[in-house]
Amino acid sequence: MSTPTPAISTEGLTKRYGATLALDALDLTVEPGEVYGYLGPNGAGKTTTIRLLLGLHRPSAGRAELFGVDAWGDPVRAHERVAYVAGEPFLWPAMTGGETLEFLGRLHGAVDVEYRDQLVKRFQLDTRKKVRALSKGNRQKVQLVAALATRSDLLLLDEPTTGLDPLMELAFRESITEAKERGQTVFLSSHILSEVEATCDRVGILRAGRLVDQGTLVELRHLSAQTIEVTFAGPPPKLDSLPGVEVASAGPETLRFEVAGEVGPLLDELAGQPVRSLTSRQPSLEEIFLHHYDSSDGLVDSG
Amino acid sequence: MATGRGRHGAGPVGALARRTFRDARIRTISFAYLFAVASMLNPFSYRHTYSTLAERLAFADSFAHNKAVVLFYGRAYDLLTVGGYSAWRTGGILAILAAIFGLLAGVRALRAEEDAGRAELVLAAPVTRGTVYAGAIAGIAAGAALLWVAVLAGSVIGGLAAGGSAYLALAIVSMVPVFAGVGALASQFAPTRRMALELGGAVVVLSFLLRTIADTSGSLGWLRWATPLGWAEELRPFTGAQPLVLLLPIAASVLTLLGAWRLAARRDVGAGLLPARDSADPRLRLLSSPTAQALRRELGSLTVWLTGVGAFALIVGVISKSISSAGISPQLQREFAKLGEGSIVTPHGYLAFSFSFFVLVASLFSCSQIAAARHEESEERLETLLALPVGRRRWLTGRLALASGGAIALSLVAGLLAWLGAATQNVAPTLPRMLEAGVNCLPVAILFLGIAALAYGLAPRAAAGIAYGLVTVAFLWQLIGSLLGAPKWLVEITPFAHVASVPVQSFRAGAAAVMVAVGLLAAVAALAAFGRRDLTGA
Repeated sequence: MSTPTPAISTEGLTKRYGATLALDALDLTVEPGEVYGYLGPNGAGKTTTIRLLLGLHRPSAGRAELFGVDAWGDPVRAHERVAYVAGEPFLWPAMTGGETLEFLGRLHGAVDVEYRDQLVKRFQLDTRKKVRALSKGNRQKVQLVAALATRSDLLLLDEPTTGLDPLMELAFRESITEAKERGQTVFLSSHILSEVEATCDRVGILRAGRLVDQGTLVELRHLSAQTIEVTFAGPPPKLDSLPGVEVASAGPETLRFEVAGEVGPLLDELAGQPVRSLTSRQPSLEEIFLHHYDSSDGLVDSG
Repeated sequence: MATGRGRHGAGPVGALARRTFRDARIRTISFAYLFAVASMLNPFSYRHTYSTLAERLAFADSFAHNKAVVLFYGRAYDLLTVGGYSAWRTGGILAILAAIFGLLAGVRALRAEEDAGRAELVLAAPVTRGTVYAGAIAGIAAGAALLWVAVLAGSVIGGLAAGGSAYLALAIVSMVPVFAGVGALASQFAPTRRMALELGGAVVVLSFLLRTIADTSGSLGWLRWATPLGWAEELRPFTGAQPLVLLLPIAASVLTLLGAWRLAARRDVGAGLLPARDSADPRLRLLSSPTAQALRRELGSLTVWLTGVGAFALIVGVISKSISSAGISPQLQREFAKLGEGSIVTPHGYLAFSFSFFVLVASLFSCSQIAAARHEESEERLETLLALPVGRRRWLTGRLALASGGAIALSLVAGLLAWLGAATQNVAPTLPRMLEAGVNCLPVAILFLGIAALAYGLAPRAAAGIAYGLVTVAFLWQLIGSLLGAPKWLVEITPFAHVASVPVQSFRAGAAAVMVAVGLLAAVAALAAFGRRDLTGA
């Protein structure tokens, strides 16, 4: 059996705006059914990538395909299986949310009306309100519902949860899980690690226009340390040095460890000690980035 | 407030005034340029065309009391001196433009900023609302000062006395604070920029209509005191100045601006006193395609265009009856021909003359449609559309079709209502003849639509400026060229020179075909160019 056509594939995809290199030779493949998290700080090139994937901007070099259709050459056919949520909700102020959903749905062609009604309820959207009277988060919901209701094979989401409250973020995650269960592909651009962690199978990290790393989240975390802070009943004991464990700082009753890799050996070591409390913190996106930044010489670019 | 003062020397009022001025700088500079050129050309051309007293007497006797001309340029008090003529020609038309400038500036500074949400950002700084308001007004005042200098400089270069020129400039520019006040008040009532412009625009139109009625009818002359545009006339630059009349615009400006300030200080930021209809039952008409939805969005402004053109065409038709050539020598009529207003002294000629302005209006409409398309892109809504299975060319073709449809409607409405107006007075032109006059506006409009679209395809950010600029230059080209006696071939570069004066002459099919063909070619090139470029934000 031949391998299925990837939902997204790019080859040497490059974009320059004048002297600025916004995206540098991106090679990316997202398989059908995959939920791919696209991480990067502001200005890393996430939105540029999505604009190129949608054929809204023209590649300076390389190409982008959605389900094997060239995004720049034949955008209409490429978009037939795609729904997009922009980072900023740019909608028509004088139209109500309901009218907007109807309009975008008609343009897309296929809408699961029943699912749309369900989404409207889930996201608590007032469809009678005009877009200009909606808060940013509510406008974002209009976009999200419009995109999700198409049940498109590929969802391109550009920081879709900016402006959503935690409850709505949960609703969003639920919807992504549903999409995944239906076999839809999701490309989620984000800088919120917890969101990506909760939903994505695989993650790519973009820095200054280059894909510096990609893999499952577990794989990525292995590359950087997590922080474990231990408070003891009394002064901290002297511990044997363990491979991959570093004491980052020490207080009168506390020790802070940076652990790269497994935490098991450290826990074993602590088992016999008078531990009062223990908190562990996963490396933040920033820390993973710092890690990439610090050791960028040693990393092989995937491009 | 004292808190912000001193950090940047001028303090927050200065900083906000600069911001307001900078926001509007392109419009301000365009207006200033237009004001200077118009102020310079009028005295120059008058001296050139009517050099002897006898010519001036004949001109004054026949031309200035022609209702047709009064309608456009306002009432004349003295046409025997260069100053009097200039005050009439320059002042009449520039006062209207100054009013429009004031309205646009007022709404831009006091509603558009709030509409866009930027006002909140400013007000979150340690400044009071009063400071922000004062800053905005100071910025507008700086723009008005620039216009004053432009008229003064233009008039002086045109050979008028400095003192009189300064007073003429003051009369014209006095409309800016009055209508900035109108804009400021409208900005307090209307919750959106668009609605504020509509409210204020209605006041401008009403002022113009009142002036027209006062100037063209003998018995209702007192109405001149009821309209700010009438005050500008009553200031009578160069013709027995009445500087006390200045108290009226000053009082009106102070009252409207203070009133707006009182309202602004009380209401919620971002809201208007008129309720915004924030919820509505769904209307699902015109949602089936991007073009249908664009029509839905443009319906409001299209209605305004159609109503404006229709109302003006009706007036033109009604007035055409009172046009006659009695007492005008053939020699003088030849002089009028130099002004490009050849046979204005007959009802048909007057209709043809008026329709030369509708040609301009239809072309400006084309520009406005391209500007609207560009607005959709700069607001990044186009990105929302094109991320769907909607092709770029299909989208732009739809917008162009919509613009053409609008231009056709505009032309036919102009023809129909001018005919209707004339018919009520038993003036002769047949309906087909007047529809022909309407259709005669189309080829130039199509030509400029294509060119504007091409500018949009190639240089989206500059497109609207290029389009409006080209139309303005092309229109003035013929007027100025023929006034200055430029060689024929040079004058005839502009497409406006190739439009027949229907209903006096017949529709020129050949020239029309060439213009439409060039317009279509430009549109095709525009589609190609648009298909090849990145979408470009604001």
